[in-house]
Amino acid sequence: MRQVGIVGIGHTKFGRMDFDLVDIMSWAALEAMKDAGITDGIDQVFVANMGGSAINHQTGIASSLVSRIFLEPAMAELIENGPASGSSAVKCGYMAIASGMADVVLVVGGERMREVTGWKATDFVATLSHPDAEYAYGLTLPAFAGIFARAYVERYGLTEKHLATLAVKAHRNASLNPFAHIEESATLSGIWDGPHRDVVNPIMADPLRLYDFCPVSDGAAAVVLCGLDVASRFTKHVPVRIAGIGQATDTHCVHNRADMLDLKAVRMAAERAYAMAGIGPKEISLAELHDAFLILEVAESEEVGFFERGQAKAAIERGETEVTGRIPINTSGGLKAKGHPVGATGVSQIHELVKQLRGQAEAGRQVAEPKFGLAVNFGGFGNNVVATILAKE
Amino acid sequence: MILDELEKRLRPPERPMPPYPPKYIVVASGQPLVIRQARHDDFPALLEAVEPLARVRKDFYDIVASRMYAELLGQYIHRVVDPYCLVGTIDGVIASIVNGRMIDEKRGMSYHTLTIHRGLRCGAHMFAAKMEYHMEYLGQDEVFIVAESFIGFKRWMIEYQLESRPELQHELGGAPSYVLTRALYDMYKPRLVAGTRPVPPEILATADELILPDEYPQIPGYKR
Amino acid sequence: MVSTRDLYAEDRNVYAYRCPKCGVLYHPAPMVCKGCRNRRDPSEAVFPDFEKVPMGGPCRLLSWTRIYALPEGIDRPSIAFGIVEFDNGLRAAGQLMVADPQSGARLIAKSGLVRELVGRDFYGLQLFEA
Repeated sequence: MRQVGIVGIGHTKFGRMDFDLVDIMSWAALEAMKDAGITDGIDQVFVANMGGSAINHQTGIASSLVSRIFLEPAMAELIENGPASGSSAVKCGYMAIASGMADVVLVVGGERMREVTGWKATDFVATLSHPDAEYAYGLTLPAFAGIFARAYVERYGLTEKHLATLAVKAHRNASLNPFAHIEESATLSGIWDGPHRDVVNPIMADPLRLYDFCPVSDGAAAVVLCGLDVASRFTKHVPVRIAGIGQATDTHCVHNRADMLDLKAVRMAAERAYAMAGIGPKEISLAELHDAFLILEVAESEEVGFFERGQAKAAIERGETEVTGRIPINTSGGLKAKGHPVGATGVSQIHELVKQLRGQAEAGRQVAEPKFGLAVNFGGFGNNVVATILAKE
Repeated sequence: MILDELEKRLRPPERPMPPYPPKYIVVASGQPLVIRQARHDDFPALLEAVEPLARVRKDFYDIVASRMYAELLGQYIHRVVDPYCLVGTIDGVIASIVNGRMIDEKRGMSYHTLTIHRGLRCGAHMFAAKMEYHMEYLGQDEVFIVAESFIGFKRWMIEYQLESRPELQHELGGAPSYVLTRALYDMYKPRLVAGTRPVPPEILATADELILPDEYPQIPGYKR
Repeated sequence: MVSTRDLYAEDRNVYAYRCPKCGVLYHPAPMVCKGCRNRRDPSEAVFPDFEKVPMGGPCRLLSWTRIYALPEGIDRPSIAFGIVEFDNGLRAAGQLMVADPQSGARLIAKSGLVRELVGRDFYGLQLFEA
């Protein structure tokens, strides 16, 4: 099969953006094309977005984007796969090139969620749950995170301090990432054992607290993919190779899983990506794991094989997932602190891995000599997961 | 003090109001947010801190800042009866301001909450401090509240489950009043009201001289 | 003609759906039986619908949460939710009406009004102390 690499990356700052959704995406797309050293020559565009029609009252976004940055007559489609839309779009880009239908693909993910209130945004994301058996009850993704976290805590003894430690890490990494939504630092003395912890960091989805959750963000990210056989067209950067992609689905309703702590789709997606890349978890130098809720970073780090079940907490205690640790996780700040514009997130994870593998991450969050990076993009509450492995060539 | 006769007629009568004892809250960043009552000599700085936000046309900053500016000016030049203002500072820099007034011994009127330093829940802590002042130091039974922004409505009316009293006219205009009762305050206090007293002198000293914010996250590129 | 009583009558039950061919129970309703691939037709125009079995009764709380930031349309300070397993192995999510829930506790599930939507009341499972 044809090999595919990434030759350009672009990103907007995440946070509040008072611009049109397609303008936001266009910015990231143009940054990625600039990074790749091109102004045209795109065969295919895949656009990842979840809420354009529901929140922004816009449809036909892929066509709109192509026209806004004058890429006609490139082929263009919108990919909507919930919060995993971004990685799904990268996968589609990979398939388009691998199949020979395209040589150069632009993948753009973007979302503009802060056009509406946070409560409306929460409601919009909750529409991915089952309409009668979940959504109508008022169940939201944070509620599922709370239910999941309680089961995890009771089985494996994870403590609030473990999660607070991850929050501090996320905020610190985000503070070094110019694209991150959250700029404020968080400290254990503020959110965990401070005198006013219960008011400063209140319970939001028992047992999870405010600082265990990602913010609602606007923003976009983009990558330019090409067949490695035509990579000589791009001379600015050595391509970063897409070594493996795996995807798996699980039951729509969380209650229908035999063991609610078994994130089967995460595990299978990672196993498929490892098999395609011909490596295992030990070869991974760093990972971007989908931590819309910090408990997911914990659980995913076990499902992808970095730690045994229930052992992530020991790794947190030893600092193994810090930038300087054995397996740095979410050096970008993760969804938790970089932000989570849902359609952008999967592409943003790939952006971070490319930046790290090129050695271009900012001082203080650059991982030493990385070779392979893993991204896990988690759709629904784990019912559609995409894992991507990138390799430094 | 010698007070001009005409000025004396223009001023509303003043009743003594118990002071709000300063407190501090350790926010997520680990820094203390010092909350204290604004003194008369603080008002020029407070007005200058509020003014730029009157031109921010998002999240209702324009209306909240414009009205708060007028209210603070009214308090400063003695045109509001029984007003108060609390200011929250981080490292001495004005982070958030709240104000209101006493209607009578048993009823209070909440005016506005304006937060400059975002991302640390300063606004929530300051609103809670305002309710604390009405209930615990002014000894009132009810506080009249109205929201002018979505976040205000959701945060105050829903989080505190305020009683709707559409028949009551709030001083800020035509919107229906909501009321925080003592029973509601007591119910939500553990979740929403925090703070340590007394404030250690070295921490309180940081809030003595108010420092104007150099930057406003609401105004990209703003430099004082 | 539909009587007024029928027109405004509300079905307040929450249902599981039984495959008429192999008897497996589902909640919520699928469009095909996972085991025997027997198809379900909600309109009953082509195939019979699955048998509707009212849900409720004794169950065990597997895990739960109480959330304090509710989405647009729910103006309450908090709601608790749980996932329960019934004695027949069926599982479901529901609103938790217990002040001090404990995972593993025995509960009783009943159908109740969980949300009022525009022009439609939504009945769902509510979980009470046994």
